[in-house]
Amino acid sequence: MPERDRGQSAGGSALAGFGRYAGPATLILSSLADGAKHGYALTKDVEEFAGVRLAPGTLYEALARLESQGLIEALESDDRRRPYRLTAAGAAALQAHLDAQRRVTETGLRRLRANWGVS
Amino acid sequence: MRTPAERAGRLLRWYPRAWRARYGAEFTELLIADIAERPRSAARTLDVARGGLVARLTGAGLAGLPLASTEGPDPLRQVRAGIGTLSAALAVCLAVGAAMWSQLTIAWQWTSPLDAKSPAMRATLVMSAAMLAFLAIAALAALPVIYVVARNLSRSRLGKPMLGPLLVLAVAVAVLAVGGHHFGNGWPGTGGHGEDGSLFPVIPAGLQAFVWALSLWDSSIWVHPAWLAALPAQELAWMAVCPIALAVATVAAVTLVRRAELPPWLLGYQTGLARLACAIMVIFAGGCGYWISIGGGPGLAHSGLIDIAGTAVVALALGVALEARRTAMRALRLARS
Repeated sequence: MPERDRGQSAGGSALAGFGRYAGPATLILSSLADGAKHGYALTKDVEEFAGVRLAPGTLYEALARLESQGLIEALESDDRRRPYRLTAAGAAALQAHLDAQRRVTETGLRRLRANWGVS
Repeated sequence: MRTPAERAGRLLRWYPRAWRARYGAEFTELLIADIAERPRSAARTLDVARGGLVARLTGAGLAGLPLASTEGPDPLRQVRAGIGTLSAALAVCLAVGAAMWSQLTIAWQWTSPLDAKSPAMRATLVMSAAMLAFLAIAALAALPVIYVVARNLSRSRLGKPMLGPLLVLAVAVAVLAVGGHHFGNGWPGTGGHGEDGSLFPVIPAGLQAFVWALSLWDSSIWVHPAWLAALPAQELAWMAVCPIALAVATVAAVTLVRRAELPPWLLGYQTGLARLACAIMVIFAGGCGYWISIGGGPGLAHSGLIDIAGTAVVALALGVALEARRTAMRALRLARS
């Protein structure tokens, strides 16, 4: 799986470079992992699974960055609402990012359980 | 009462033309849907305004990741945008820095041998070396661009978009050359130490006079109406025309660079030179800062509020140049990967 390994490495660093846009970018990539969506459908899906409403400016700022990095791609569309889909590099980037977040989450929960008795 | 489509259209104006060409239609659709759900939202307006500003800064090669064009991601476009902004920022550094440097070189011409080793004069030496090095780098950067522009001009498809900015640049440079030569004749350094006492044997007096004439406008005289009124009308007109010509020449040169479709190897070469140019400008700005921090120097080397403001402008422009270079480098790496 050399291609995938390279993709994971490149993808992880790609999303890390998003800085303060990593939050919206992660939400968008997570939404697109379920299939291609246009802007409005993305907003609704993110609102449903994360409880966060991405404002239009923020959404398109992140979409433009993700597209320029090759993590998502625009699909042809007959109407004005252009859908986007996740690329292989985007999937790798999302996985690397979520893996890193999971390590943080698991460490935090383990320490809370050990020192604070939180179940 | 405006319709949601009209309101969305108004909000879209925050974004630059290139961004609108790529995302405008779909973004408008999203805005219309959002307005239908939330008819009044200051947060949405602020979010769009902020997004538009970021898109404009990104378009200027100053923020964020490479741009996507209508044909898809285009890191080389971002490199060109970064180099264009970098060139403009360094031009501002040069224009404002030249005014301070000119004052110091004139002071040097008239300073007594006793004062020649004063800290202000040492700062002048450092700033002069930096200025010369910067001009040499600017020439090294310009030569291959001139070659590419000349080559593109012979091809109608590539040459056509460059004709306009080239013509404007030629007119602005002609105005600066003629005006600089004419008003340089009144250079206050004439009659100073000359050949013997000159501490700048490598910088011809003619060049110093020319730079002085091009920086005449950068003066505190604008806030002294009595002094302004005493100026000959011709000189006053030159002080008004010169900064406009400098700005026009800079914008035309940047437009030319952005339209010239410089090949990747040349973009790499330019960003490499830009690093050196920024480093030299840091030295120059350091010299300015030192000169001001010691309260100026003897005689004509005194510093004033305008020099503090000038140094601040140089530092600010340098910060913009460094950020543009960083963005250009990042986009170049992406284009090569």
